Amino acid sequence: MPFPGSGIAKGMATTFRNFFAPKVTRQYPEVRPEIPDRWRGRLDLIYDPFGEHKCEVCFQCAQVCPVEAIDMSGFDSEGNRIRFGMPEIYDERKDANAYRRAGLPARPMRNPARWDEEIDTPFVDGVVDGYGGRPEALIAIFRAIGDRYGYLPERALRRVSDRMSIHWAQVFGAAGLGGFRLLPTEGHLVTVCDCASCRFAGGDRLLNALEEELGIRAGETTADGRFSLEARPDVGAGAISPAMRIDTLVYGPLTVDKALHIVGQRRATASAASRA
Amino acid sequence: MDWELLLGIGRFVLATTLLLLLTVPTAFVIIQMELKVIAGMNLRIGPNRIGPSGLFQSTIHGFKVLAKEDTVPDQADRSTFTLAPWMVYMAAAMSMLVMPFAPGAIAADFNIGIVYFFAVLGLSVVGLLVAGWASYNKYSLLGGLRSAAQMVSYEIPLTLSIVGAVVLAGTLSFSELIAWQREHGWLLIWQPIGLGIFYVASLAEINRTPFDMVEADSELVAGPFTEYSGMRFGFFFFAEYVALFIMSGILASLFFGGYLAPWPFPAQLDGFVGTLWGILWFFLKTYIFVFVAVWLRATLPRVRVDQLMGVAWKLLLPLALVNLFVTAIAVVAFDL
Repeated sequence: MPFPGSGIAKGMATTFRNFFAPKVTRQYPEVRPEIPDRWRGRLDLIYDPFGEHKCEVCFQCAQVCPVEAIDMSGFDSEGNRIRFGMPEIYDERKDANAYRRAGLPARPMRNPARWDEEIDTPFVDGVVDGYGGRPEALIAIFRAIGDRYGYLPERALRRVSDRMSIHWAQVFGAAGLGGFRLLPTEGHLVTVCDCASCRFAGGDRLLNALEEELGIRAGETTADGRFSLEARPDVGAGAISPAMRIDTLVYGPLTVDKALHIVGQRRATASAASRA
Repeated sequence: MDWELLLGIGRFVLATTLLLLLTVPTAFVIIQMELKVIAGMNLRIGPNRIGPSGLFQSTIHGFKVLAKEDTVPDQADRSTFTLAPWMVYMAAAMSMLVMPFAPGAIAADFNIGIVYFFAVLGLSVVGLLVAGWASYNKYSLLGGLRSAAQMVSYEIPLTLSIVGAVVLAGTLSFSELIAWQREHGWLLIWQPIGLGIFYVASLAEINRTPFDMVEADSELVAGPFTEYSGMRFGFFFFAEYVALFIMSGILASLFFGGYLAPWPFPAQLDGFVGTLWGILWFFLKTYIFVFVAVWLRATLPRVRVDQLMGVAWKLLLPLALVNLFVTAIAVVAFDL
């Protein structure tokens, strides 16, 4: 057992030493911290009051990052964690980045094999060149690629970025927010919004009607695999309740008739595509 | 007309006035010390805006209190509510009457100075109880009862710890006690246990950390002072610091030779120079103990109420009694 009072003595010694130690107070308005010119603070994602990330994966931060240090991933409409950004490491990226910033066409990656397997590179190049490589044609280019693959393969986007010499963040951001599908999925995923706002506005009637129309319950897929139906509260379109999402496109405000009409249209296109 | 009596009355009035005036700068100095010393021990700079290196911070605080609105609760007992701060303050100020600042600089050199001191110091309990009761607030009342329990409990070991020294020196007068210390050495050597008990009990008696649960400003409402504002609260606040000064001064006088220099030379300075010399040593020693109290506050956490009572009744009181008996036996046996 330590001698009684030895703890007090130890504490007293500490405070006494501190009394003569250099002080840590910074006289703020007069003395300001030295911040390097290029310091931009620490990157951090902020949350909304419900604990969800406020980040919408819009890639604007990645676009303005001068050294292309920002990478991002997110969740697709089915809740799968996917990468929208570049899976390569920064060291691989920085050469292309330097070329782009110098206004030069980006050189191929050091290890192009990682990127150019599985996609039809000449096809993608042809589409890009067909639009003259203009950035404002990105959406049209995405449509063309989407028609070919049924979704936008990451590698194709990467190829578009290199070929057009525009920032990959711009390409990925436009693809992600343009409502394009970024992962291969079987058929269409119909999501009826289950949030409070949509349910008050008649979202449950919408769901019942769609269940009847497609012949499946929420959470199931039709026998031919063309449509999956689900009810989720995170469509995030409270202003247009009741809302429904097909793949990545959000529709609303809907009536039962409208919703059935839209789904019917998709069914027609889908069968047309399968015939072609 | 008896000139002797008139002179005595004049001297008394002058001394009490001076003492009352002394309490104000004393409180300012100790509060300033507390601000700066605790800041330093927390690795902060502390107040440094008002005056050279913030020297007038506490003074400004004091005057700020004057400018604040002085509210009285609706149902409060107005007369006692007003009286309570005064009682607490006067208990502190009156006990300064017997404080030996220097040879010849004692306002009233009673032959029972020590008894008077402890009797008057105990009056502040009444003030705190009255404050708690008059506020018409259950928190105030409970705070007042708590403070009364604490102070009454600690008054017993506090007083008993001195009895050993009194038996040894054979006097109840402060000046004679100091004279005894001049001949026999400081009572620190003769009564180390008494000193320890006295120090702990005095911290509790004046509600200093680590025994400041009366106020417990970081976790409770301010005990009996809850309903007080403005200068009435200021009086309680001042009284606390004046009490710290008094306790430090009494500690220095009882156990550390008071106004005596730590070495015998110059053994006897007479007249005005001697008084100044004594005042110098008295204030030096007193402020060393004030510093120690502030230092303790920067270091120690608050103890619990049950620990507080346990220490008083189970540790300090038996120790004080043993100390008293051993001293008494030694005095008889060795004919000290």
